[in-house]
Amino acid sequence: MSDSEVDETTLRLERLIPSPPEILFALWTQPAQFIRWWAPDGYEASVDALDTRPGGRWRTTLRRSDGSVRATSGVYRIVEPPRFLAFSWAWEDESGTRGHETEVVVNFESAPGGTRLVLVQRRFASKQARDNHTNGWSASFDRLTRVAG
Amino acid sequence: MADAPQLDSLFAALADPTRRAIVERLLAAGELSVGDVAAPFAISGPAITRHLQVLERAGLIERRIERQWRFVRVRADALAPAESWLSRQRRHWMAALDRLEAVAAAQTPKREKS
Repeated sequence: MSDSEVDETTLRLERLIPSPPEILFALWTQPAQFIRWWAPDGYEASVDALDTRPGGRWRTTLRRSDGSVRATSGVYRIVEPPRFLAFSWAWEDESGTRGHETEVVVNFESAPGGTRLVLVQRRFASKQARDNHTNGWSASFDRLTRVAG
Repeated sequence: MADAPQLDSLFAALADPTRRAIVERLLAAGELSVGDVAAPFAISGPAITRHLQVLERAGLIERRIERQWRFVRVRADALAPAESWLSRQRRHWMAALDRLEAVAAAQTPKREKS
């Protein structure tokens, strides 16, 4: 067990993608586009809800050929085409009960030859933070603007 | 998936910098008396006690009492649920972004070489 693992409070992924932000943003926010990339091999993705207005629900289901399903769902916080997405995130179990709740922010920044995509997933620090979406959100935003700046 | 309340309390306990520092100190030292845990921190004894209670409730540390001394240490595998949740989530996004990149590439016009 290293200290860095203890210290880690967010998941952060960054990559350069040789496509413009507009294409990536559409793939993320339009249901017909979203299902083209969301499902791993052996799964079929469907979009149950995808309301990109702030406060709008999203829910997607991954269905395996043996009939088992894994759903994820949440609420959109901020949608700024084609640069920025923020939404809450939780896996659901078979009975539809939502698991550990987190916040995800995705930044699509124009870069030479394409887009620098930064995805940050933040675990809620406390029940209070989870119940106070504004605080949970602004902490994520501060962090992301620092890393993207 | 580990159950959500367990992960919630684990991540909440680790979200506080003082508690994270306590856990790191215990990981480095093994076992310490409560007084030794508190030594480097410029906060009151009751505040340290509260932090230790949060860590204990989250299943991160355990206490041992020997005569008048109280010792604390990190529980073996205490961090495993958080780590396995994080690593699963990381794998999920890595694979998803691979697929996103591939589908986006098929939709991106080839740039003219100048």
